Amino acid sequence: MKHSEVPLKIINISKTFKTGFLNLKRVKAVCDLSFTMKKGEIFGLLGPNGAGKTTTLKILTGLIFPDQGQIEEFGYPANSVKARSHIGFLPENPYFYEYLTAREFLNMCADIFNLPKKEKLEKIDYLLNKLSIAEAADRPLRKFSKGMLQRTGLAQALINDPDLIILDEPLSGLDPIGRRDFREIITNLRKQGKTVLFSSHILSDVEEICDRAAIIARGKLQEIGTIAKLLSKGVKETEIEIEATKAQLSQLQKKWKIFTNNTTLSGYRINLPPNIPLQKFIKDLVAATITIKSIKPHKESLENLFLNFNMSTDQNSPTGLQNNKQSSPTGLQNNKQNSPTGLQKNKDKEIE
Amino acid sequence: MGAVLAIAINTFRETIRNKILYTIILFVLIVLISGNYLANISMHNEDRIIMDIGLGMLSLFGVFLTVFTGINIIFKEIDKKTIYLVLSKPLNRTGFILGKLFGLLLAVYTVVVIMFAILMAQSLLMQIAYPVNLVKGFILILFEILIVLSIAIFFSSFTTPFITGMLTVGIIMVGRLLPDLHQIIRVKYVPGFWRETALSLTQIFPNLYIFVPNGHDFNGQYLSLTSDFITWNYISWTFLYTVFYSSIILVLASTILKNRDLV
Repeated sequence: MKHSEVPLKIINISKTFKTGFLNLKRVKAVCDLSFTMKKGEIFGLLGPNGAGKTTTLKILTGLIFPDQGQIEEFGYPANSVKARSHIGFLPENPYFYEYLTAREFLNMCADIFNLPKKEKLEKIDYLLNKLSIAEAADRPLRKFSKGMLQRTGLAQALINDPDLIILDEPLSGLDPIGRRDFREIITNLRKQGKTVLFSSHILSDVEEICDRAAIIARGKLQEIGTIAKLLSKGVKETEIEIEATKAQLSQLQKKWKIFTNNTTLSGYRINLPPNIPLQKFIKDLVAATITIKSIKPHKESLENLFLNFNMSTDQNSPTGLQNNKQSSPTGLQNNKQNSPTGLQKNKDKEIE
Repeated sequence: MGAVLAIAINTFRETIRNKILYTIILFVLIVLISGNYLANISMHNEDRIIMDIGLGMLSLFGVFLTVFTGINIIFKEIDKKTIYLVLSKPLNRTGFILGKLFGLLLAVYTVVVIMFAILMAQSLLMQIAYPVNLVKGFILILFEILIVLSIAIFFSSFTTPFITGMLTVGIIMVGRLLPDLHQIIRVKYVPGFWRETALSLTQIFPNLYIFVPNGHDFNGQYLSLTSDFITWNYISWTFLYTVFYSSIILVLASTILKNRDLV
C-alpha cells in the first residue's frame, strides 16, 4: 500500500462484543461508522458514555479488531506497524509502569519507535519541559498525581512526532491550568500541520478547539461537520429589538403570527422562531419604517445539540429528530423538545 | 528489533525492582551457605552434599522464580492496561511476547547466574572434584527455566495469574515425572488403542526429566555429579529440544494474543 496524505479514512466499521454467561449476549459497540479526516484539522469525536468512542479509537490503534469495515491511516491498514509509526495515542485514563520514572518511560517509548539516541534525548527533554514535568522526570510514576500522569501520557503520544494524534478524553482529570495548557498544545499541533482526533464529552473544549466534529451515540454516527455549521443548524430563535408603535406591532403580529410581550425602554423585543425567514421579516420591518435596534441570533449550544441527539437515541425513536417540523410558529415551545438541527437523521450526509 | 529490546529492558527492570525477589534471593543464599555446614558434618561426602544441595536449590529456585514472575507477565499488562501504550506503537504482538520473554529470562538468568557464581566459588574453595559437572548441570537448569517461562507466557496470554500458576506448576510436575508416567501407562494398560492414546497425550507435556538427570541416562549409562556426568552432546540435544518446544509454545501464545481484542 502507498503512503497517502489522508490521515484517516474509516469505511463502515462495526464491532460487536460478546458478553455475559458463555458469551451469549451481544453488545453492538460500533455500527457502520464512516468518516474521513483531513490533514491538519482537529477533529472531535463526541458522544455520551458508552457511545462507542473509546472502542472506535481502540480500533484505530489496532488494539481491537473490527468485525467489518476498513480503516486506512495514511493509506496503510490500521493494524499495520507502518500505520502506527505515524500515530501517537493517548488512551483514556492512561495506566503506566509505575516502577519507571517519567524519563525511563519516555525512553522506552522512544526506543519502540527506534529513535536515534541524540534525537531521543533531545525529544524527551523537550517534552518534559513542554508539559511541565521536567522537575519530576526522575521520580517514579507511582508518585505522580493524576494531572502529571495525563501530561506524561501526552508526552509519550508525541514522542515520535506523529502526524496523527489520537487522544481519548485528554482533558479529563486536569485542573484549569492543565486544561488550558493541553488546549494550547493541541491547537499548536494544528499549527504544525498535525492532525488531531480527540474524543470528549466536555463540549466546551470541542467547541473551542475543534475544526470539525462527529457526534456518535449507540455506536452510530449521528452528525458530522464543522463546528460552525453544526452550531448554525441549531439557531433556536432570533431576538430582534425594534422601535415601533403599538399599531405597527399588532400588524406584524397579525401577519407573521408572532407573539411578544417583551417591552424595552425604547420599544419591543420580538423572539422570532426559526421557521420564519429572517430576511423577509426584516424586509417587512424596513418597509414599515420600523427602526431595528438590534438583531441577536440565539444559537443552540453544542451541549444542547449533543443532549438532544442523546435524548433522541435514548428514546430510540426516529420521530425524535423530526419534532422541529411540528414546532409552533410562535417559537414559545420548549426548545429541548425540538430537534436542534431540524435535520432528518442522515448519518452519512456530511455538512460542509 | 529495537522495539523488542525496549520491551525486554522494561520487563527486566520490572522484575529486578520487585522487592519480593530479594526476599527469595536471601532465602536461597542462606540455604546455599548452609550447604557448607551440612558438608562439614557429612562423612566424607562434602563434594556430593555441596553439589547436590547447590544445584538442587538453584533448579528449584529458578523454576519457582520463573513461575512466580511469569504468571503475571501478559495478564498484568492487559489487566492494568499498560499494554495500550505499547501495542498502539509500531510493535506487533509477537514482538511484544518476545520482548517479555527475553526481559524476564534475562532477569531470572541474572539472579541464577549470581547464585551459581556463589556456588562455584564455594565449590572451588572446597576444592571439589569435577567442577565442570556443576557447569553442565547449571546449563540444564537454564534450559528448563526457558521451557517453564514459555509455558507461563502461554497461559498468561489468555487466563488469570491464579489459573496460569496452577496449570504451569501442574505441567512442571507432570514434566518432571514423565518417565514414571510412561511406566505407569505401560503397566496399567494392555497394548492397544488406550495405551497408545495415553502415551500420545503425554507427548504434549515437556519432558523436564531430561534436565534433572539422576541415576542413569537414556542409554543406561550411570550418571553422577561427582563422577561421570552427562556429555556435551547430551547438552546440545537438550538445547535443541528446549528451543523446539519453547518455539511451539510461544507461537501458540502469539497466535492467541494476535487474535485477542484488548478491551
